[in-house]
Amino acid sequence: MDFNVIIDNFPFLMKGLLTSFQLAFLTIFLSLSLACLIAVGRISNKKYVRYPSAIFVNLLRSNPLILIVFWFFFLVPLITGTPLPAFGSVLIAFVVFFSAYFAEIVRSGIQSVGNMQIKAAQSTGLTYPQTMRLIILPQALRNMLPALVTECVIVFQGTTIAYIIGMREFLHSTSLVAERTIRPIELYLFAALVYLIICFTGTRIATLLEKKE
Amino acid sequence: MNYEFNWSMLLEEPYIDWIIEGLLNTIQLSLMAWCIALTIGIIIGSIRMMKSPILRFIGTFYVEIFRNIPLLVQLFIWFFVFPLLLPDNLMRAWNSLDGVPFLTALIGLSLFTAARVAEQIRSGIKSIPKGQFNAAFSTGLNTFQTYRFIVIPYAFRIMIPAIASEFLTIFKNSALTLTIGVAEITAAATYIESDTFRGIEAYSVASLAYMFTTASVVIFMTWLENILRIPGLIGKK
Amino acid sequence: MNSPLVEIKDLSLKYGDYTALQSINASFFPGKCVVICGPSGSGKSSLLRCVNKLEEFDKGDVIFNGESLKKTKNISQIRSNIGMVFQHFELYPHLSVLSNITLAPIQVKGLSKTEANENAMKLLKRVGIDDQANKYPAELSGGQQQRAAISRALALEPKLMLFDEPTSALDPEMISEVLKVMRDLADNGMSMLVVTHEMGFARDVADEVVFMDEGKIIERSSSKSFFEKPRSERAKEFINKVLLKI
Repeated sequence: MDFNVIIDNFPFLMKGLLTSFQLAFLTIFLSLSLACLIAVGRISNKKYVRYPSAIFVNLLRSNPLILIVFWFFFLVPLITGTPLPAFGSVLIAFVVFFSAYFAEIVRSGIQSVGNMQIKAAQSTGLTYPQTMRLIILPQALRNMLPALVTECVIVFQGTTIAYIIGMREFLHSTSLVAERTIRPIELYLFAALVYLIICFTGTRIATLLEKKE
Repeated sequence: MNYEFNWSMLLEEPYIDWIIEGLLNTIQLSLMAWCIALTIGIIIGSIRMMKSPILRFIGTFYVEIFRNIPLLVQLFIWFFVFPLLLPDNLMRAWNSLDGVPFLTALIGLSLFTAARVAEQIRSGIKSIPKGQFNAAFSTGLNTFQTYRFIVIPYAFRIMIPAIASEFLTIFKNSALTLTIGVAEITAAATYIESDTFRGIEAYSVASLAYMFTTASVVIFMTWLENILRIPGLIGKK
Repeated sequence: MNSPLVEIKDLSLKYGDYTALQSINASFFPGKCVVICGPSGSGKSSLLRCVNKLEEFDKGDVIFNGESLKKTKNISQIRSNIGMVFQHFELYPHLSVLSNITLAPIQVKGLSKTEANENAMKLLKRVGIDDQANKYPAELSGGQQQRAAISRALALEPKLMLFDEPTSALDPEMISEVLKVMRDLADNGMSMLVVTHEMGFARDVADEVVFMDEGKIIERSSSKSFFEKPRSERAKEFINKVLLKI
């Protein structure tokens, strides 16, 4: 075994890792924002808001991420008429997919805040959107921080799926080097180690947050 | 949008064969992996609750390794790296096996999911109030009897939702095995799409398979929970 | 004769099969402190919450300051003229005491931050907790939290204050500090509707007492008459039970 091959290709591999992080962070930011809207929609008393939100969430949670990626990869160019760059299609697929999962976490958080806070805020004249934005969602997100962090780790692990449509994230970069240097053992074990360290740190943070409560 | 739908082609040869083969592979792979994962997971989960620190460390080590490395990376390692690490004669035996991708996928999926199951077992046992153990011991039951009559029935009811949802997770994760050559249902959909360019029809078949399974398991689980419900027990999520 | 501040017309409220309020008719005039009392489940809190439409009533209407709550399109504006104090205080835990009070004036009435802060500090001083302004609700005692909640309601300069069992969740030693604040408000002419079990407050501070049972108003009179000469049997029963505790 020759681990020098990792050192020789380090910049290339790190570029892949950076791409993984970029995809993860963008996904988390966008899908969490979308998730807040969906979560509020889930608890709405207007049926025409509540039902579509529920259908959206259940639809997405019933399908594997890789299939959703294939769906968007096929549909997005079809609808827009132009082939989208890999990052764009994958990002949309990821954001839509994970927003369903984040939405359930946020919804649980909203329910943990309780009805009386909503009434108190409304009694001072705040509108429902203001109440959600200023009072309920900040508390909901705070309450669900451990679950949110865990989901973020899952997002990061999910970035490996972008490999399949050719995006140069970390796993793909690793396999390219493995093929080129014919040293799969060193490269894949290295990749596993990197993911292990990052995700372990993430789950540790989530556990610590949970203990704090 | 310029798209001509052609749903009937799904019933023609060879596509219908691909679909059936894909479905069978998905179901087979998921069920087998789930059984193995449950077995290993229960063992590891129990190990983590035992007194010996060495055993608990082994359990924790296993869980952290298999939980934190993405499933796709694990599949790649079993597929590309594991055979190379075997001594020569074993490696040749392995490579000459029928259905290496399926076997590899089975190993990868099982071990990954076993870590998740172990975590759920651990939190299931942890959620049993200590008072129950004390009560049982105080009436003279030994550890084995306590586990048999009190702990396991109690934990079982709490864990049913988790166990069922693990099956759904494996079912969905089986899609990843297409990367190492398993002809499961999502793979079948991609083959159909690249052959006919009818992506919506092709992917719909796969989606329907997953959604139907999810709905069925959820309905079954709700029914099961109602049958096994213990009135007044707060330990249900 | 001034016109009523709150007119309740034929108000009915149901939760599923359970009738909380049955065709309530009542008027409340400005400057008066009215106590609403009665056994549990009599509908007193539900009635209070209808006055600022926190409960959606099924039939009837509430007219606040001439505006129909049923027909209004601007309930937020109406609510900003009514202050409400809750049994469990309901301060926002993630905001400081000061921010709790300034939030609505800034967001709903459009005050500048400086103005809102100034007004808030004055209110906090008035209720005696200006030194707690920058603390978080969890750091305050129950009595302090409720006084902060009263300041939050007063920050909107409301025409009417609603109190929903404001002292029921407090330890006995802290009840008097909150009742004192409420008494000051009444003495200064604030229109108040108070749901409470504190009969001492009802007797000494309130102008009128409304007695409710099973979703209906059974009796209404000046607080003196109510305690000295209750007319209905139910009211007599209730007073006896409560006075036995005093």
